[in-house]
Amino acid sequence: MESQTDNIIDIKGMTFSRSGRVIFDNIDLSIPRGRVTAIMGPSGTGKTTLLKLIGGQLPPDKGQILLDGENIPSLSRTELFIARERMGMLFQSGALFTDMSVFENVAFPIQVHTDLPADMIRDIVLMKLQAVGLRGAQHLMPSELSGGMARRVALARAIALDPDIVMYDEPFTGQDPIAMGVLVNLIRRLNQALGHTSIIVSHDIKETLGIADYVYVVADGRVVAQGSPEDLAGVDSDKVRQFMQGLPDGPVPFHYPAPDYLQELLQDIR
Amino acid sequence: MLDWVQSLGRVGLARLAAFGRAGQLLVQALVARPDPVMMFPLLVKQLYFVGVLSLIIIVVSGGFIGMVLGLQGYTILVDYGSEQAVGQMVALSLVRELAPVVTALLFAGRAGSALTAEIGLMKATEQLASLEMIGVDPLRRVIAPRFWAGFISMPILTMIFSVVGIWGGAIVAVEWLGIFDGSFWANMQQAVDFRDDVLNGVIKSIVFGFVVTWIAVFEGYDCTPTSLGISQATTRTVVFSSLAVLGLDFILTALMFGEL
Amino acid sequence: MRMRTMEIGVGFLMLAGFLALVVLALNISGLSLADQGSGYKIYARFENIGGLTPRAKVAMSGVQIGEVTAIRLDPQMLMAEVEMKIRDEVNYLSTDSSAQILTSGLLGEQYIGITSGAEDEMLGEGDRIRDTQSALVLEDLIGKFLFNKVSE
Repeated sequence: MESQTDNIIDIKGMTFSRSGRVIFDNIDLSIPRGRVTAIMGPSGTGKTTLLKLIGGQLPPDKGQILLDGENIPSLSRTELFIARERMGMLFQSGALFTDMSVFENVAFPIQVHTDLPADMIRDIVLMKLQAVGLRGAQHLMPSELSGGMARRVALARAIALDPDIVMYDEPFTGQDPIAMGVLVNLIRRLNQALGHTSIIVSHDIKETLGIADYVYVVADGRVVAQGSPEDLAGVDSDKVRQFMQGLPDGPVPFHYPAPDYLQELLQDIR
Repeated sequence: MLDWVQSLGRVGLARLAAFGRAGQLLVQALVARPDPVMMFPLLVKQLYFVGVLSLIIIVVSGGFIGMVLGLQGYTILVDYGSEQAVGQMVALSLVRELAPVVTALLFAGRAGSALTAEIGLMKATEQLASLEMIGVDPLRRVIAPRFWAGFISMPILTMIFSVVGIWGGAIVAVEWLGIFDGSFWANMQQAVDFRDDVLNGVIKSIVFGFVVTWIAVFEGYDCTPTSLGISQATTRTVVFSSLAVLGLDFILTALMFGEL
Repeated sequence: MRMRTMEIGVGFLMLAGFLALVVLALNISGLSLADQGSGYKIYARFENIGGLTPRAKVAMSGVQIGEVTAIRLDPQMLMAEVEMKIRDEVNYLSTDSSAQILTSGLLGEQYIGITSGAEDEMLGEGDRIRDTQSALVLEDLIGKFLFNKVSE
């Protein structure tokens, strides 16, 4: 019972496989309430999949995903939609609705889930846009935004309903250093100001470690290391060290598995 | 040989599974939870994209096809001395056959492929997943209005095609080839029956509208969310809907006019 | 504003569709609303109706005055009985009118041509035309022609 008050999300013994490949193998993971938790790991380890599992977009093969004690995979569709009102998600591509303006994008979740009058919705949207510094861009269409701006608008949309949990899917990839700094700052500040729980999925080590309170390193379908950023620096594991320091070769090999080099070259001659 | 049979089986099973998913999509989007109040502005928007923007290609093609029918019909009928029957020929071939089929084919190329690409792109840019996370059913918000828009537009476009085509035929036959105005229209009115010809043509177009939009929407929703996947899905939409339209046209014609 | 253009466009589409339906109904299929139901029925027996079908036109001097509504075989007389509906305003067919099955053009469809007689009494609902002339059947014609040749 103690863990349920500490942790907003508890994943217990969860296994997930897709087209025959095991992505998560009996994984256990807890997300502490009100903190910034980072989930890190090399590409292709299913970090984004983990967010989709928490959001109930994919069902796990077995195991539990508990959101305040409610098991997400066993919820009905209606219950799931209610549970999702507590979650905000920032997608990798921003995922702004291309046929709506910036203002309409941020207003959309509020219009769907509340019966507030139009002027009140307008006030909320302007507040959220102000928080990400884009109140001046409210009339633009998503196609007129730069990548960094699009992601900030998407962030404003994700926090429009003041969710308990905000999930960030690779928030830093493909951003220039300025946009990256802005985003890092925003995520930290919003977490403190609004008191929600943040989950960041990323492989940008420096930026992520700078804002995370707790870090999980995922590789080969299981958690290979966890702890505060300071703890991780001292972990004595080749895998973790390779990832954290960005070494080109190590337990994760540079070469894709292949037959012997010399033999294959000679084979071509016949 | 056995490998070939196996691959044939695999393709067949995959198609069957896709057909099952398409049926599921249809039921979920339309039957499960309709919401007419929320849908109306979305429907208007889709009617604009699917229907109004297809109007130009329909009018232009209809006009030319009618004119060609007028010319061809005249050169054949004049040998039998019954060139005044050209109105009847143009009207019957348009109303019964060409208007529903050609409109459906053009619609598949113009609106169907656009629907597939748009929905595929929404999937690739995670807009559909984003709707899910906001707690809005994308089937209801994205798929259903597009589906109804196609379903409603097709018969309207088909009727416009018929009328424009017959006018095109009349211009060629009456103005250029000098067939007597009165006998052109009288012949046509005598031969064309409202229920047997016009309504059956409209029924055909309703069936085609249903099938083409269904295929377009499903291919978009079911595509692999990559550039390659979207382009393949768009091609599949055009190929499958064209084949479905032509095949269904034979079946419907046999049922309606074949006196089976 | 964007919504307004779209709504106007869709409005025009709907209007065009409705107009197209009206044109198809009235101008192209020649559907006239008064045509349905009003009219009186008359009957005629023919030896042979050839290729006559229901909905074929009934004309007088080439002008349509009604249509064939049903064709059946009379089991006693062993002749075809044709039921036709004549428009109400055509109330000047005398009782000694004759009906003839004609063909429009060389290869055209068959229709019934009616020629009025000299009687003062007019045909009414349920009356029968007695003077009929069957369709020309090409085979019979050729047969007769050959028979005449042989007998010469």
